[in-house]
Amino acid sequence: MKRNPLILFFVAALVAAMLFAGIRMTRNNRANGSNHGLIGNLAPDFELQTLDGKKIKLSDLRGKAVLLNFWATYCGPCKIEMPWFVELQKEYGPQGFQIVGVAMDDASTEDIAKFAKEMGVNYPILLGTESVGQSYGGVNALPTTFFVDRDGKIIAREFGLQSRSVFVDHIKKALSQGQAVQAQK
Amino acid sequence: MKILFASAVFLLSGWASAQDDAGPQGPAVRMAPAPVVTAVQGKSATVPLTFRVARGLHVNSNQPKSEFLIPTVLKVEATTDIVIGKTTYPNGQDMSFAFAPDEKLNVYTGDFQVGVLVRPLVSVQPGKYIVRGTLKYQACDNSACYPPKQLPVSFDVKIAKAPPPPRSNPAQSPHAH
Repeated sequence: MKRNPLILFFVAALVAAMLFAGIRMTRNNRANGSNHGLIGNLAPDFELQTLDGKKIKLSDLRGKAVLLNFWATYCGPCKIEMPWFVELQKEYGPQGFQIVGVAMDDASTEDIAKFAKEMGVNYPILLGTESVGQSYGGVNALPTTFFVDRDGKIIAREFGLQSRSVFVDHIKKALSQGQAVQAQK
Repeated sequence: MKILFASAVFLLSGWASAQDDAGPQGPAVRMAPAPVVTAVQGKSATVPLTFRVARGLHVNSNQPKSEFLIPTVLKVEATTDIVIGKTTYPNGQDMSFAFAPDEKLNVYTGDFQVGVLVRPLVSVQPGKYIVRGTLKYQACDNSACYPPKQLPVSFDVKIAKAPPPPRSNPAQSPHAH
């Protein structure tokens, strides 16, 4: 049976396109966190050191809505978000909202502290580790921000710089979900 | 015919994954094949190394404008036969990005060339020598930044024999009459 080379080429192109789409979808799923089962599940717990040597455990913030922001001193887009975070902490903090910054940096603690001071940061900055980054899907791009509801469940993830209104929407949703703890720590 | 079909699938899927690698998941900077530079024993020569930043990304220049930014730096490993001299970097471009329209960053985009000065020792045997190093860079796009990376770099230097020293004129023999 004679085969038309054009048809064969078309079939080959179709197979390649499907492979391409498959790779893309897998990577997009990873980027959205869905491939790691993060959205809708409990935020992976961790205990990390703050800039002044104290330790903060994520699960200790249960009852509060948490914005978990992975950032670095070398990251320009992260710098744009920080003043918004300062305002949002002031605005929504009294309702039981807490921002936690996780510095995924090679810079020294002193440099990170200097940077945070220059930015007027009013929320705790933790010194991130590779293993914590891995537990949140690798955190390959910065900023990456997770929104955790009062029950400790991740309700959203944002990758890269977003508009302030996107943050506000997620914060409101995180505050409205789960049970508030009366005696806040 | 089967071979044609298999080749087409292979080529097209290769193209597909190459397209995907151009994104943030793939390397942000690649090195173009380096030319083989010939250096004469005991003499300096510059090896031009061309690097290509993936489309849509930028890396900080060697002299970024903020102490918090990570500069692009080429580190060349010392060798026993070739003295590694000064590395020269191009000037970056002052550019503003969507994430900070009022701020100018000094960056490399597209292709940029770094020069490495090499000087083979006088005693080195002529031949081809491999020099290795790493390019440290940190890339960002318009909305996100990616962790610092180290790109392995290697290039060949062909060492040629130094020409024999010029002969001094032999003493003039007196004319014999």
